[in-house]
Amino acid sequence: MSKPVIKLVHSRFPNEISAVEVTRATESCISCGTCANVCPFGVHERKPGHNRISRPQSHLCIGASCEDMSFYCVNHCPRKALSIGTNQNYKTIGDHRWTRDLILGTWKQAETGMPLKGREYEIGDSGGGFDRMAFKFLHARVTDAIDDDAISTEIDLNKRAGRRICIDVPFYGGGMSFGSISLSVMLARAKAARAWGTFTCTGEGGFPAELQEYDENVITQVATGLFGVSEDTIQRVKIVELKYAQGAKPGLGGHLLGDKVTAEVARLREAVPDSSLFSPFPFHSVYSVEDHEKHVDWIKEINPDAIISVKVSTARDVDMVAVGSYYAGANIIHLDGSYGGTGAAPEIAKKNIAMPIEYAITKVHECLKEEGVREEMTVIASGGIRTAHDAAKAIALGADGVVTGTAELVALGCVRCGSCESGRGCPRGIATTDPELAKAVDVDWGAQRLINLYAAWRSEIVMILRRLGMSSIKELVGRYDCLSYEGQSKGPRRGI
Amino acid sequence: MPRKYNIEVSPAPPRFPPVGKFVIERSAADCINCGRCVLTCIHSVHARLDEDLRRMAEPEDYRCKGCFRCVQECPKEALTIRSSDEYLRLGDSYWTPEIISKNWYQAETGKVPVSGAGYLGPFSGEGFDSMWTDMSEIVRPTRDGIHGREYINTSVDIGRKVPVIKFDAQGRIVSPLPPTLSVPLPILFDTLPFGGYGNVYEAVARAASFLGTLMIVDPDAWFNKEYEANAVPVLTQSALEDSVTACKMAELDYGSTVLGAVEELRNANPETIVSVRVPFGDTAAEIAEELTCAGVEVVHLYADCNGKQIDPPGPGEPRLLKDMILEVHRQLVARKIRDEVTLIASGGIAIAEHVAKSILCGADLVAIDLPLLIALECRYCKNCHSSGLKCPVSLKDVDPRYGAQRIINLVGAWRNQLLEVLGAMGLREVRRLRGELGRAIFFEEIQRETFDTIFAKEVSYNVKAGN
Repeated sequence: MSKPVIKLVHSRFPNEISAVEVTRATESCISCGTCANVCPFGVHERKPGHNRISRPQSHLCIGASCEDMSFYCVNHCPRKALSIGTNQNYKTIGDHRWTRDLILGTWKQAETGMPLKGREYEIGDSGGGFDRMAFKFLHARVTDAIDDDAISTEIDLNKRAGRRICIDVPFYGGGMSFGSISLSVMLARAKAARAWGTFTCTGEGGFPAELQEYDENVITQVATGLFGVSEDTIQRVKIVELKYAQGAKPGLGGHLLGDKVTAEVARLREAVPDSSLFSPFPFHSVYSVEDHEKHVDWIKEINPDAIISVKVSTARDVDMVAVGSYYAGANIIHLDGSYGGTGAAPEIAKKNIAMPIEYAITKVHECLKEEGVREEMTVIASGGIRTAHDAAKAIALGADGVVTGTAELVALGCVRCGSCESGRGCPRGIATTDPELAKAVDVDWGAQRLINLYAAWRSEIVMILRRLGMSSIKELVGRYDCLSYEGQSKGPRRGI
Repeated sequence: MPRKYNIEVSPAPPRFPPVGKFVIERSAADCINCGRCVLTCIHSVHARLDEDLRRMAEPEDYRCKGCFRCVQECPKEALTIRSSDEYLRLGDSYWTPEIISKNWYQAETGKVPVSGAGYLGPFSGEGFDSMWTDMSEIVRPTRDGIHGREYINTSVDIGRKVPVIKFDAQGRIVSPLPPTLSVPLPILFDTLPFGGYGNVYEAVARAASFLGTLMIVDPDAWFNKEYEANAVPVLTQSALEDSVTACKMAELDYGSTVLGAVEELRNANPETIVSVRVPFGDTAAEIAEELTCAGVEVVHLYADCNGKQIDPPGPGEPRLLKDMILEVHRQLVARKIRDEVTLIASGGIAIAEHVAKSILCGADLVAIDLPLLIALECRYCKNCHSSGLKCPVSLKDVDPRYGAQRIINLVGAWRNQLLEVLGAMGLREVRRLRGELGRAIFFEEIQRETFDTIFAKEVSYNVKAGN
């Protein structure tokens, strides 16, 4: 596997939000420049020709761990004008699932491509599921002999007869439609997918012409609205995803509110500009496994080599649905858990309908095993996979690989303010079709951020495998025994 | 098929600026009034000062969604966003700031709250937060109710249902038919915990009348003949006033002599449905059973304002509404008398999901109290009923028409969310949701089925490691 090049790519915003805040009391500071001389990280700087010292670059500061260092600027300042504290903006950011550290950590990974150390970058604060699980590393079994490149993170997306599709990393990009996100974000995702030898999915919104050169790395979606679906789009790709449900709004159809339906979006979807587009729910042609099989046959008739992925949400009987999909001829069962999703959804649906992914993976894995078909089915999990650790835990619970969505958007600068659905869309220019706002994301910049994120994730997964003494990610599938579970945390946690 | 019921909503902007989640601080020392923040903000939080365009106005904090663009693009790093203390102080640990502000939004717009970026909250919690509702896919059809493409019926019947109807030779019904009442949505309005001003009651009554639902009210606090058709008076057992027995339904508080009072009321007006209010406590299931067997047709079980058991006997954790409804429902099912009685649950019904979940756990319908006041901008600061301080939103000055619209909007948004849940499950009748436990996912159950089993096997890895 040839690894893509990691390059340093900074945030596109001039002011970075960081955990640490270095404050200089301007009334005491005499701009002597001592701090600029001692700090090895470049937090303080006196630009040539300037009398006054520049504002501290807090995001470069290492924080409290600097206190014992000989170069700690606070101790060196002759006027005691410097102090180090916690940044107020940092305190405001984040939520239970994506804590401030997960958001900032993902930004850092996208910037540097390097994995991060620390429990705060592995789990969130939801008090359950992945956030209460940890790998049981046993140092005795760490095999230093295995070198990083010899550890395989490859997974097969088709385990049945037909075309072999193998991706180099155990994750690919989830469906986000043109209309929900901007074209540049789509292209950046496709470019990163090509660089890593994996896939990205068009979602239900058509296949923009610009995406054509990435055909080899694109999954196209056939969803209930059939927006932008044509014979041509199905024939061009290797994997076709039948979307029966999605985790953001299990049991409900897609929403694209009128504000985001620009002329271009409408053209691709063969719809009317400015009118809200609601995909119906469900496929009214599918009320049984036999009907579902008809759908699979229909895709295979148009593209006989296509690998079929079936995207379902986590209903109570999701395990039976998975078995049914196997008999209908699907290659991939893609489980989309209820807590994830990037799309606009009623809040009541996001919180309450269908079960969290952690339970669904195990149920499906066990049920397919019992049915004796686990070896022929690829199980992919999504909906709340925030970090490489979540990905590895999902695999240990019984998935073959995972699908990312929100994590990619965060890498591109999302702060999860949640206002992506209406008006001009995302204020940060990611989930928008507003031509002015969409300029914020440059394709190459975005692609490199995602390449870096994937690199960091792969390194972390490799690290986990090493510490478990495994040489391939395939060995980790369904290894519950590698995980410890602390149980649901008690305490006054309430959500809406 | 009944007439298609639909709630027309119409925007009713708040009288006071809502309490926003964020506060934006602009450092006067650093700001150079360049106006960059005005350009970056898509929610119009920042603007120049009208009186002096060279300067920046104070940010309109409540519009801020926390995207941090202005903070990250300000050339002088003069802006900071912090969580608003006023917001965090709203309500209490049960009526959280999120619950209060989301209800305000719904009362203003009548819209279902929609957002992107997935779920932000904790994995699970206590009470209603420890369950999920099911959905259908592939092997079962879902319904598409919210956009009106398929009609989902939310009406429920209140009153005793006869298990068998007998006919004579001519095909005429000979069984006595007890009175029943149909309401178009499973949400009644309960007595107000505070804020019982005449104008507030009138707003509630107007909304009840518009929606076709019922308003449970203490006639000593407020009663108006004009809204009699929608009123459910709570009668004291000693004095059954004639003036209010014309109502379709009346409530009596549970007590040792309640059955006698029920009888007396029935004799006075055989067409009135009688409901008995029972506090949710340790013996609620036995009381419900006793009342049902004695022929009471409606039992209204009420918890306290936070959905907790009334007067818990010991110092332990008080029981929660979800578990109490489940217990009563299961007991009545076990005794094979569940269908003979209508169960109303109330106390701590704070958001739309609580309606769906209460019914899923076994209630026929719910009654709401505090949300009615929150619709009128109440902040649940408790000033009025504890310290006698002034109401920050001046509830006694709400125009009843405007107030009614806010309540209609809130209920309209809640009903649409109920439709979403029903649609996802594939149900076309809210009556089918009642006690449909096979379509609920309970935290304890799913935990037992999955994690408890798989993490019990954890020994094997350790054994291998030792080799």
